[in-house]
Amino acid sequence: MDGGFVLFARLVMLTLVPYVLAAQGTMLGGRTGVFNVAQEGIMLVGASVGFLVAYAWGSIGYGLALAALTGALFGLVLASFTTTLRLNQFVVGLALFFIGVALSTLLYKLTIGVTLTPPRIPTLPEIHLPGLGDIPVLGPILFRQNVLVYAAVVLSLLFWYGLYRTRLGQNLRAVGENPMAADSLGVNVALMRYATTILGAALMGLAGAYLPMVFTGTFTEGMVRGRGWLAIVLTFFGGWRPDWILAGSLFFAAVEVLSFRVQVTGVGIAYQFVLMLPYVATIFVMVFAFQRVRAPAALGQNYDRESRTMA
Amino acid sequence: MAERAALPRVVARLLARALPYALAVAAAFAAAGVFLAALGFDVGRAYATILLTSFRTPFSFAQTLVKFAPLLLQALAFTLPLTARKFNIGGEGQLIVGAIGAAAVGIALADLHAAFLLPAAVAAGILFGALWAALPAWLLYRFGINEILTTVLMNFVSFGLIDYVATEIWPDRAAGHPTTVAVGAGAWMPLLVVRPPVHAGVLLALGAAVLVHFYVRRTVGGYELVATGANPRAASVYGIAVRRVFLSSLVLGGALAGLSGAIEVSGVHHRLIEGMQSNFLLLGIIVGLIAKGNNAAVPFVAFFIAVLDVGASALQRTMGVPVEIGFIVQALVLIFVLLSDVVRRR
Repeated sequence: MDGGFVLFARLVMLTLVPYVLAAQGTMLGGRTGVFNVAQEGIMLVGASVGFLVAYAWGSIGYGLALAALTGALFGLVLASFTTTLRLNQFVVGLALFFIGVALSTLLYKLTIGVTLTPPRIPTLPEIHLPGLGDIPVLGPILFRQNVLVYAAVVLSLLFWYGLYRTRLGQNLRAVGENPMAADSLGVNVALMRYATTILGAALMGLAGAYLPMVFTGTFTEGMVRGRGWLAIVLTFFGGWRPDWILAGSLFFAAVEVLSFRVQVTGVGIAYQFVLMLPYVATIFVMVFAFQRVRAPAALGQNYDRESRTMA
Repeated sequence: MAERAALPRVVARLLARALPYALAVAAAFAAAGVFLAALGFDVGRAYATILLTSFRTPFSFAQTLVKFAPLLLQALAFTLPLTARKFNIGGEGQLIVGAIGAAAVGIALADLHAAFLLPAAVAAGILFGALWAALPAWLLYRFGINEILTTVLMNFVSFGLIDYVATEIWPDRAAGHPTTVAVGAGAWMPLLVVRPPVHAGVLLALGAAVLVHFYVRRTVGGYELVATGANPRAASVYGIAVRRVFLSSLVLGGALAGLSGAIEVSGVHHRLIEGMQSNFLLLGIIVGLIAKGNNAAVPFVAFFIAVLDVGASALQRTMGVPVEIGFIVQALVLIFVLLSDVVRRR
């Protein structure tokens, strides 16, 4: 295990975060039957808002909070349009995707304008966990990371526990499998769908804000580069389970780091093909994931209490 | 007597259909107006700019038409599969690959006579776009893999591909941006109007729209498409090969998007430029959603969105309002159109 491996693993842990957050957010809403397809747009807005707030107020914390709040607003719109008004989830999701893409650039242009040298924000500091951070190999990989790396892992474990070991989680899964049955058992289907969709979208906003705050220090148009869409695939890949999603995002992060490193060092392949690697790999992954995995039965379907049918 | 009575009824029905749209547009403009006023812009002037720029000068009208063509095709590439309830989010990649096909023919066979070269280049664009959509379509057919995700992932693959072709295969070394050399003059789309330039691709796009409408409404394939979209299970019970309908709808969508790429190459740029796709995919989706997947309504909505788009660019030049305000207005129109559905259902 040389230094090269440690560096690679550290980068994978660092790159993991947006995938984990966005995919767990997707999983959460999907577990109650609301399939969000606006990840890419919500992440872009999160990146833009997070960056602008951090830049204007000089506080990464505020930036993260407002990015999450903006994501939550998108979730609220998605939930009310699908759960209360019962509009097609994919149509509303695509509309929100579009709005997110447009809004992210609009906000940036209105606040910053067009500049020759883009403004920068400081990136999230590394937190050296006392004691644990000094363990050889494992220390630098796992315990000298920024706060969101820890948060992403802890959150995944919490979600796993909550979903499979608590009453609430059981009800939540029931809503996604059979809302009618859950409803007749006294579970508040609408409340569950609102709560999970809003919280899930807030996580997507955070996932977006992570990009300027950790990777670049700047905001650029379209900087999410498909990670939102990849997060949906990752959710399927992880079988809609928090624990597997965490594991799966290791793979997605590794592919991203690898494509970046190959691009820098060069291995005789044109860099354009290296850049395609994450997307091509993902398409291959889908062939396996979609065969093996069973998604929540009511995924993408709205529930109409009065007519007792799904539409 | 009966026929005379029928006419007003048709008009009344059309008006009833158009009313929610008119209200949605008005509401969107009102909301955007509040936003612009809050930012301290002159709202009246902004509205006039965004709505009227396209009609003020022949040049800006020509610009609108040239924008309208790929937009219309992208919207059709989205709505044709949507008729069968399949979502093609890969129009961007299909446009790029179609453009690569058209440029490859236009460059490799540059000396051919226009009577052969132009049709060959356009056909290559259509074919490449269809092939690019065929992979996600096949994955859906064979493995049941969600087409939303595969089509969108293929977009990102195409970005690398166009960059590679532009920098490694036929690079124009003199250009600062990754760009190929020009296609042969025979591959240039003839101009309908020379000054200001309007190329014949506009007619091709309109022709495609008519064909799509005819296909959906008047052919067996179109009937299967509609039946599948209305209720896949029932369609399957009645002997329609539902999965094959999904497959063909996506491939046809790819062909339409590929045509838009060919038109961009042979009508506008005359070469392949990295990043030439701009926002056509997003605009195409929004046109398709506003038209609620109705192919007959798509050309009108596409024209309206092209007008807004040209108007928004003018707004940025003259008043310094970021061009994205146009997208926000479009998105708001979409939201209000969606909401009008809810109101009608009550």
